[in-house]
Amino acid sequence: MDEHREGRAAPIAARVHLAHAVVQKLADDRDVDLLHLKGPAVLPGLRAEGRQSSDVDVLVRPSHLARLVEALESVGFEQRTDFSTGSAFAHAANWWHDDWGWVDVHTSWPGVTIDAEEAYAVLARTLVHRQIAHRPCPVPDRTSQRLILVLHSARSGGTADADHAWAGAEPEEQDAVRRLAAELGAEVALAAGIGELELHRGDPSYLLWRYFSEGGTRLDEWRARLAAAPTLRAKAALVTAATRVNRDHLRMELGRTPTRDEVRERQRLRVRRAVAEVSSRAAKGATRRWRRS
Amino acid sequence: MAAVVTRYRIADDVAWVSEEELDGGETPTAYLTRLPKGPPILLEGSGCVVWLALADGGTLDEVVTAAAAMSGTGPEEIREDVETLVDQLVIIGVARED
Repeated sequence: MDEHREGRAAPIAARVHLAHAVVQKLADDRDVDLLHLKGPAVLPGLRAEGRQSSDVDVLVRPSHLARLVEALESVGFEQRTDFSTGSAFAHAANWWHDDWGWVDVHTSWPGVTIDAEEAYAVLARTLVHRQIAHRPCPVPDRTSQRLILVLHSARSGGTADADHAWAGAEPEEQDAVRRLAAELGAEVALAAGIGELELHRGDPSYLLWRYFSEGGTRLDEWRARLAAAPTLRAKAALVTAATRVNRDHLRMELGRTPTRDEVRERQRLRVRRAVAEVSSRAAKGATRRWRRS
Repeated sequence: MAAVVTRYRIADDVAWVSEEELDGGETPTAYLTRLPKGPPILLEGSGCVVWLALADGGTLDEVVTAAAAMSGTGPEEIREDVETLVDQLVIIGVARED
C-alpha cells in the first residue's frame, strides 16, 4: 500500500482547488461574505474545457475586507501587493502562501463603476453554491459569471473566455447580461469585451478600454487612465502614481525587498523610458507635419 | 444487545480533490487537507483508491469491498492494507470513526 505524504509539490490545479476551500473556511469562521471567481468557480459550459487557473480569485464584500485579511494572515498568507499597486483599477491585492500559492482578493471588478459595496450586493443577490474540493463555495450565478468573464477578457486584451461566456450564450441570456451590466454601470467594459466599444466613443472610459482591447504604450495607458479618472483629485493622484516606482512589483520581480538604490535606479529607468516615448512621439509628429507641408 | 459497528468517513474539516476531477492523470491521486491550516497531503495509487472508497462512508468491510471493486482485486487480498491505511487516516485527523 502506498504511503500518504505531505503534498507541497501538488500540481497547480489541485493546489488551487484546495486553496479555494481554505479561503472559504476562513471566511465561514469569521462571517466574511465573499464570492469565488474564475478557475474552478466557473460554472460548467462557461469556459473552454481544460482551462486552468494558477491562482485563486475572490470578490469580498468591501466592508468585510479587514476581517478577511486578518483571517488570511492568521494562517500564513503574506500580502505581496496592495490595492493601490495591484492594478490600474486599484481593485485587487495579492497574498502568497507557500502551500496554497496566490490568492487575489478583489473588492470590485474592473469595468464595474457603481459603488463597490452596492456592486457586491447585486452580484451576491443571485449567488449559487458550487462544490470546490468537495466544499460548498458561493459563486456568482450564470448571468453574473458571463459578465465577469467578458469583463475580464476585455481587461486582458481579449481571451477565449469571451467566446464561451458571450458568443456561446442564447440571445435571452445575452440580454440578461446586458441588463446586469447596466445595473452595475459596466456597459462600456461589456461593450469592449463583445466588440461594441465604438458605440461608446464619447464615454470618459472609452480610451482606457480601447487601450486594454488593442494595447498601446505606457503613455497611452496613462493618458487613458487620466481621461477616465472622474475627478480632479483622482487625476492628480494618478499623475503622482505614474511617476512612482511600484515597489510591490519590483519586490516580486527581485524576489526580495528592493534596496533604496534599486528603487532609485528603477525610477531613473522609468523616467528615461517616458522621455524616450515622448521623444519618439514628437519625432513621429514632426515627420507627419513635414510630410503634410 | 447488537454489537456496535464502527463506521468510517471523511472528517468534516477536510477538503480534497482527486486527479480524476482534474486532468485525469495515469496514477490515481488525491490531494487533501484539513481546513484551514493544512498542510496538503498526497495519496497516490492504492492510497487514493482507499480514500475514494472512504468518500461514501461505511464500515471497514464496506470500505474494503468498495476499494477491492475499484482496484479489481479480492477483498481479502487488500483487507489488511486497507485497515492499516484507514487507521493512519484517522490518526492524522482526515478520517473519523463514528
